[in-house]
Amino acid sequence: MSDRGQRPAGLPIPIKPSMILLAVVVIAIIVTALTATFVVDQTERAVITRFGRYSRTLGPGLQFKLPLNIEKSYIVETEVFQNMQFGFRTEEAGVVSTFSSQDYPEESIMLTGDLNIVDFEWAIKYRIVDPVAWLFNVNDQEKTIRDISTSVINQLVGDRAILDVISSAREQIQADGLELMNEKFKAYDLGINVTQIQLQNTRPPEGEVQDAFEDVNIAIQDMNRLINEGKEEYNKVIPRARGEAEKIVEEANGYAAERKNIAQGDVDRFNAVVAEYLKAPDITETRLYLEMIEEVFGGTEGTNLIDKNLGTNFLPLLNLQQGGEAQQ
Amino acid sequence: MKNTIVVLVVVAIIAIIFVALGPFYVVDEGYQAVVVRFGAIVSSTETAGLKFKMPVVDNVVKYPKKIMSWDGDARKIPTAEKQFIWVDTTARWRIVDPEQFYSSVQTFERAYLNLDDVIDSSVKSIVANNKLVEAVRSSNAINESAQEVIGGLDEDVSLEGLQDFTVEESTFEQILKGRGELSDEIASLVKQVVPQYGIELIDVVIRQIRYSDDLTSSVYQRMIKERNQRAELFRSYGEGQKQVWLGKQQNEQRAILSAARARAEDIKGAADAEAAKIYAAAYEPYPKFYEFWRSIESYRKTLPTFGKTMTTDMEYFKYLYNREGN
Repeated sequence: MSDRGQRPAGLPIPIKPSMILLAVVVIAIIVTALTATFVVDQTERAVITRFGRYSRTLGPGLQFKLPLNIEKSYIVETEVFQNMQFGFRTEEAGVVSTFSSQDYPEESIMLTGDLNIVDFEWAIKYRIVDPVAWLFNVNDQEKTIRDISTSVINQLVGDRAILDVISSAREQIQADGLELMNEKFKAYDLGINVTQIQLQNTRPPEGEVQDAFEDVNIAIQDMNRLINEGKEEYNKVIPRARGEAEKIVEEANGYAAERKNIAQGDVDRFNAVVAEYLKAPDITETRLYLEMIEEVFGGTEGTNLIDKNLGTNFLPLLNLQQGGEAQQ
Repeated sequence: MKNTIVVLVVVAIIAIIFVALGPFYVVDEGYQAVVVRFGAIVSSTETAGLKFKMPVVDNVVKYPKKIMSWDGDARKIPTAEKQFIWVDTTARWRIVDPEQFYSSVQTFERAYLNLDDVIDSSVKSIVANNKLVEAVRSSNAINESAQEVIGGLDEDVSLEGLQDFTVEESTFEQILKGRGELSDEIASLVKQVVPQYGIELIDVVIRQIRYSDDLTSSVYQRMIKERNQRAELFRSYGEGQKQVWLGKQQNEQRAILSAARARAEDIKGAADAEAAKIYAAAYEPYPKFYEFWRSIESYRKTLPTFGKTMTTDMEYFKYLYNREGN
């Protein structure tokens, strides 16, 4: 007892067993306090279990629980939208995301209702809405989501013809898929809500098949082109033909006018002569006759003249090779 | 004082030993437990919380209460038509009777082995008894659409001739059961077996169906051929329509020109008739004078080009012999 107050050699301050006890207690309190406080982020919730049994759910902020694992806290991100991709992966997400060029055919190649093969890529967005259910109801939560999503899409694609799947049925598949997936997850009480399905590429398998599908589009273009060529040709030729037709008719009209005018001119000339004739018929006739002879025979030399009174003893021979001479 | 400390220490040590030997155990949410003593099941609990057991002698085996997933490998299975397809199934199950589970399989490894057997064989037998379409499709919705949308068509291009060909064969085989019902059938087969393991099967879903590789390439060939035929159809329709237009063009062109020519002939003919009328109207009152005058005119035109040999037996020469003109 008398040793009590004595310092062990070398130590500057007195160390009593009670001090050690105090230190231990203080450390214990600190450690306990550390295991009793935690921070919950704005996007998170904390699920607290006491001795394993669910106790309460806590929101964002500095939170407390019973220390030393009497109460355990599980942090769950409930306000964040989670992504899951099927048949493709995003390499870099951003304003313009780049996608991995790698295919995931085991996820994306599937059968269509008309027993054809299609390459179908999609992504889903979901949110954890019930953190307690999320934590404790289903094992392998992410795998379950992936399995069910794949199975639902597979089922929907398998119910339709390929031509619809790659074009007109896309929206319907998105809507139906959302419904079916959420139905299933509700049945499992998984505690999530799938908010969106986004279809990416939905197309025939790469390679020759895709080319053949593309070729149909090209063929439709070709068809348009050919039909337009025919129409163009028609539109080129027919107006021209109409123009030509008009020309023909106009020419005929011109001829008609000319013909009538000539006739009228001739007739007018005749009528003038007739007027003279009516005034002095014989004189006019004689005059016209003699004028004609003068005009016709006047200029030419070497015209043969044969006397009509030669009778039958003379046989007139005309030497056609020399110029004729007047014979009497 | 010393005695108190000693007592406290001894009590503490006893307490620590007691706790360490574990009369408590905690069952977390989503889990259940079976208490085994010397190999025999003593009790089980399915709720979470702090539980008690005999220390030392009691062993606690914890199993999840959660929905577990079973993942089968894709298996190559023949359908009723003997077509081989890869069927990839997955199932959800859970332990509902932990004591039964412990006594029958005890570990997950063995549980999965048993599930593999049961589910695989059920899938095989159901798929083999049904046609391929029953496994692929879930409804007859496919018959309601399947109209090819001919995109990119110019507005006034007439598709009349094409309608017969674009209405595709939209009648596909009607299915009687469909994928959903097949999955249910598989599940019910499995459900008969698994309770003996303390397991409840929740569902079996078909995750993927795929053709075997050689079947895939022949399906590709079929698809390519079908598309090629469509392309061919469009192209030859285009050719045909182009020829129709060209024919129309030729016909109309001919019609227009021939109509014009006919009209021209009419006009000319009418003009000729008109001219003749004018002449006749003028000449008719003076037939003899006309004959004389017209002949004179005609001689004027034609005779200058004749080689001329004349005889004096013309009226012109009548004054040549004597003054009286005899």
